[in-house]
Amino acid sequence: MRKPETPVVKRSLFSWVLTSSLKLQLLLLLTISVTVFARVLPLEMQKRIVNEAIRFSDIQRLFLYCGLYLASVLVATGLKYLINALQSVIGERALAEMRKALYDHILTLPLNFFRKTQPGLVVTSLITELASAGNFVGMAIGVPVTSLLTLLAFAGYLFWLNPLLAVISLSIYPVVLLLLPRLQNHANKANKRRVDLTRTLSGKIGEAISGIHEIHGNGSYRIENSRYGRMIDKLYKIRIAWNLYKFGVKTLNNFFNNLSPFLIFIVGGYLAIKGRLDLGALVAFISAQEKLYEPWGELIGFYQTYQDAVVRYKRTMEYFDTVPEYALEPVGREPYELEGDIEVKDLSFAAEGGIQLLDGINLSLKPGEQLALVGFSGSGKSTLAQCIGQLYKYTGGHVLFGGKEVNELSKRDMIFNMGFVSQTPFTFEGTIKENLLYSCAAKLDVYEAGDGDSMPTLDDMIEALQQTGIFVDVLRFGLNSILVHDEHEELASKLIRVRENFKAEFGEELAEYVEFFDEENYLYHSNVAANLTFGSPNHESYTLDRLPVNEYFLKFLDKADLTRPLFTLGAELCKQTVDILGDLPPDKVFFEQSPIDAAELDEYKALATRLTKTKLHRLSRQDQTDLLRLALRYTPGIHKMVGLPTILEDLILEGRALFREKISSDEPGAFTFYQVSEYIYSQTILDNIFFGKTKTVNPQAEEKIDQNIIQVLIEEDLLETIVGIGMEFQVGSKGDRLSGGQRQKLAIARVFLKAPRVLIMDEATSALDNKSQARIQSLLDSRWRGTSTLIAVVHRLDIIKDYDKIAVMKAGRIGEIGTYDELMARKGMLHELIYGKRTSV
Amino acid sequence: MNSSMEKGQVSDTSEFQENLEILRQMDFFSALPLQALKVFAYLFTREIFKPGDNLFHQDDIDGKAFYIISGTAEVVREDEGGEAVLREFGDGEFLGGLALLGDMRRLFSLRAVSKMTCLVMNREKFTKAIEQFPELTPRVLETMVDRIRSWEERLFFDRDGLCDNCRKKAGVSLI
Repeated sequence: MRKPETPVVKRSLFSWVLTSSLKLQLLLLLTISVTVFARVLPLEMQKRIVNEAIRFSDIQRLFLYCGLYLASVLVATGLKYLINALQSVIGERALAEMRKALYDHILTLPLNFFRKTQPGLVVTSLITELASAGNFVGMAIGVPVTSLLTLLAFAGYLFWLNPLLAVISLSIYPVVLLLLPRLQNHANKANKRRVDLTRTLSGKIGEAISGIHEIHGNGSYRIENSRYGRMIDKLYKIRIAWNLYKFGVKTLNNFFNNLSPFLIFIVGGYLAIKGRLDLGALVAFISAQEKLYEPWGELIGFYQTYQDAVVRYKRTMEYFDTVPEYALEPVGREPYELEGDIEVKDLSFAAEGGIQLLDGINLSLKPGEQLALVGFSGSGKSTLAQCIGQLYKYTGGHVLFGGKEVNELSKRDMIFNMGFVSQTPFTFEGTIKENLLYSCAAKLDVYEAGDGDSMPTLDDMIEALQQTGIFVDVLRFGLNSILVHDEHEELASKLIRVRENFKAEFGEELAEYVEFFDEENYLYHSNVAANLTFGSPNHESYTLDRLPVNEYFLKFLDKADLTRPLFTLGAELCKQTVDILGDLPPDKVFFEQSPIDAAELDEYKALATRLTKTKLHRLSRQDQTDLLRLALRYTPGIHKMVGLPTILEDLILEGRALFREKISSDEPGAFTFYQVSEYIYSQTILDNIFFGKTKTVNPQAEEKIDQNIIQVLIEEDLLETIVGIGMEFQVGSKGDRLSGGQRQKLAIARVFLKAPRVLIMDEATSALDNKSQARIQSLLDSRWRGTSTLIAVVHRLDIIKDYDKIAVMKAGRIGEIGTYDELMARKGMLHELIYGKRTSV
Repeated sequence: MNSSMEKGQVSDTSEFQENLEILRQMDFFSALPLQALKVFAYLFTREIFKPGDNLFHQDDIDGKAFYIISGTAEVVREDEGGEAVLREFGDGEFLGGLALLGDMRRLFSLRAVSKMTCLVMNREKFTKAIEQFPELTPRVLETMVDRIRSWEERLFFDRDGLCDNCRKKAGVSLI
C-alpha cells in the first residue's frame, strides 16, 4: 500500500494540483497558450475588415480576413472544449485520489472516533464536501492561466490600439480587487457555518432515524420535527446570507464591468469626433474591451470556487484529523513472526473521563495454552481481550506478545500473528467464499478472491466450513442454486443419475416431505404457470416474467377458459396481500410468503385502489397484465392469504393437458416437460434431485433430507462441486441473507482458515445452538490446543472445564486465576459464579 | 400435509383467515388491533410433527413459539440419569411466548406424542413485526407479566400443600 509522506488530513488543497497528472497539466498549459492567440486574432481581423477591406472595397481581403476570423473562432472553440475535457479529467482524477486517501485514513482511525461519528457524516464528507475540492483542482491551473493570459493579451492589444483608452478601461479593476475580498470574506464565514451546521444536521437526522422506535413509542413526532425545524430555519438563514454575499460579489463585478464602456464612449467618442481616433480602431477597442469581461468573469468565478473549495476541504480534513493509534506497516522490516506466548503485566485501561475499566491485570500464557475469561457482564473480560488484541490501546502496564509490546507493534504484525473473532462479527456484501477468505486475503494483501498462490485451497475452505459446522448450510445454498443451461451440461447429467439413486434409496422415506412432479396431480408447491405448462421453458418468451405478455399463451388461456378465473385470482391476491403488507418495510421476513415483491409493492398498492373503483374488465391492459402476473406466480403452499378454489384447480389441470397438446404441435421444443429423464433448468438443484418440491420448512425434516442428500452426493462424488456452488452464494448487505448463527460460524471459519498463533474469541459462539457450540469447543480442544494460544471470553460456564487456565474477572480486575479444578476446590469466585445463584432459587 | 391444502377444501377460506380466527382467540394476541393481527396471522406458518418428532430440544435457543391446533406434546427433561416426562400440552395451547422476547435456552425438550399440527412463529419474524407496531410492545409485555403471575398463583396457591418443598422456592413472579 502506498502511503503519502504527509497524512492526507494535513495536505493542503494546492498539493493535489501539483501531484496529480503533471503531464496533463503541461498539455493543458500548451493548449491554453494557443487558445489565447486564437482568441485575440479575431479582434485584429475585425479591425482590418473595417479599416482595410470595407474601406477600400477590397473583396479579396474581405474573404481572407473573414476566413482567418472563422478559422480562429473554430480553433478557439475546439481548444476550449479540449481545455474543459483536460480540466475535468485532472479534477476527477484528483477527486478520486482524495476520496481514496481520505477513506484509507478514516478506516484506520481508532474505534473511539466512530462512537462519536455518524456514518452519514462520513458519507457526506467523502461524497459531497470533497466534490468542490476536486472541481477546484481541475480548474486550478487551467482557468487562472487562461484568463490571466487572455486578459494580458487583450490588455496589451488595447495598449497597442490606444494607451490612453487602455488605461481608462483597465482602471476599474484595481477598485474591484480592493472591494471583492471583503465581500468574499463574509461569504466564507457564512459558508463555514453552513458546513458545520450541515454536519450537525446530518448527525441529528441520523440520530432520529436510529431512534425512530422511541419517537413512535412516545409519539414525539412534533418535538423531533420542531428540533429539526429549528436547525433547518437556521440553515435557511445562513444559506440566504451566503448566497446574498456570493451574488454581491457578482453584482459588484458586473457593475464595474458595465461602467467601463461608459468611460470609453465618453473619451473614445470625444477623440473620434475630434478626428484623433479612426472609427475601426474605436470599434476594435470597444469589442476588445467587452471581451475583457469574459476572462475577468472566469477569474472571479474561479476565485469564488477556490474560496468555497478551501472552506469545505479544510473543514472536512480538520474533522478527520486524528492520528491512528498504531502504525499500519512495520517500518524497514518484514512483519514479525511472533511466538504465541502472552505476558500481561500490571495492565490498566482507562476510558475517556478517567473511568478505570481494567486495573492491575497480570497473567501469562505459554504458546498453545488456552485461557478462559469469565465474569459478569461489565467485569472487563471483553475489554481485556480487546486490549490484548490491539483493538483498544491500553493506558498503563504491558502486554507482551512473543516478547514484543503490543502497543508498539504495527497493525500488520498483529494481523500476521493474531486472529480475532468478535462478539457480533460483521459479514460483508459478497459471496460466502469472499467472506471466508476475508482474513487470509487481508493478511496476504490479496484483493481479488482467488488470486495468490498461498491462498487456501478448496479443500482448506471445506475443512474450515466443516469445523465450524456451517458446511451443511453452504451445501444448502448450493442445492438451492439454479444451474445455467449451457454451462453445466455435464453436472446436469450427473444430477439426473443422483435423482435416480436418490429415488431408489430414499424415495419412500421422504415421500411425505416432497411433492413429486406428477402429471396427474395439481402441484401445490409450484406456481400456476408451472402447473399449466408442466415444463421448463427453452425460450426467453415463455419465462414466468414474459408469459403475461406472451400472445400465444394469452390465446391459450382464452381457449382454456382460464383468462377470467385467473384475473379474479390475481385481483384477490393483490387485494389481500396489499391489505396485509401494504404498510410494511421491504424486509425479506415480510415478503418471503408474498406473491408481490417488495419492490413492486407500491405499484400493486395503487392497483388495489383502482380495483375497488373499477370492474375487472374495465381495467387497463397494463393492470390486467399485472394481475395475470400475480396469478401465474401463485403457489398455494407458500401464498396462504388466498385459498385455491377447487374449480380453478380442475380447470388448470385440464389446461395442462391442452397446453401440452397445443404447444407440442405448434412449437415443439419450446418447453422441456417435466420427466424423470430430463434435467429441469428452471428449477433448483435440490428440486431436480427430488424431481419435486420440498413441502416443509420444518428443521428436523430438513435435517433428515440433508443427511440423505449428502450420502447420495458423496456416492456420486459431487459433494465438493455443490459446496463450491454454494460458496458463491451472495450473503446480502451486512450478510442479511444469513442467520445470526451462520454469520458467527462464518466469522470463526475465516479466522480458523488463517490459523493464527494467537486466537482471541470474544464470546464468539454466543449465537450458536448447543451442538454447534460443543463442536467448536471440542475442536479448540483437539485441533488447536498446543498450536494456537487461545484467549476466549466465555459467557456459558459449562464449556470451560478443559481450559488450561480460567481467569475470573470482577470490576476490571482478575479475582482469581487457575485451572478449573483448582478454582472449584478453592470454592472462591468461580464456585460462586457457577453455584452461587443456584442456592438462592 | 397442510390441512387447508388438501384437495376438496372449501375454497373461500384461506389458511390466513383460519390463522386470523385462531389468533383472535389467543390471549397473547387477542388484544392487538386488527391490522397487527393480520400481519401476525400472515407470518405464522403451519408445521406438522409426527409422533416422536421434537418441537425443540433441551438447551437449544430455537426462538420459537407454538400454538397447537391439534395433537399432543410432552415436556421432557433429560439429564445424566436419563429422561423424565414432566407433563403434556394439547389442543389450543400456546407455548414459548417468552422465547419470542429474548434468548431462551430451553430447559426441556418438547416432543410430539400424537400427530401434531401447529402454528409456529419465530423470534426474527416476531421482532421485525413488533418493530412495525412499537405501540404494542407494552401490551405484549403486560400479557407476559400477567401470564407469569397467574402461573405462579396457580402453582402455589391453588394447589396449596401439594409441594411443601416448592413453596420455599416460590418467587418466579418476583423476578
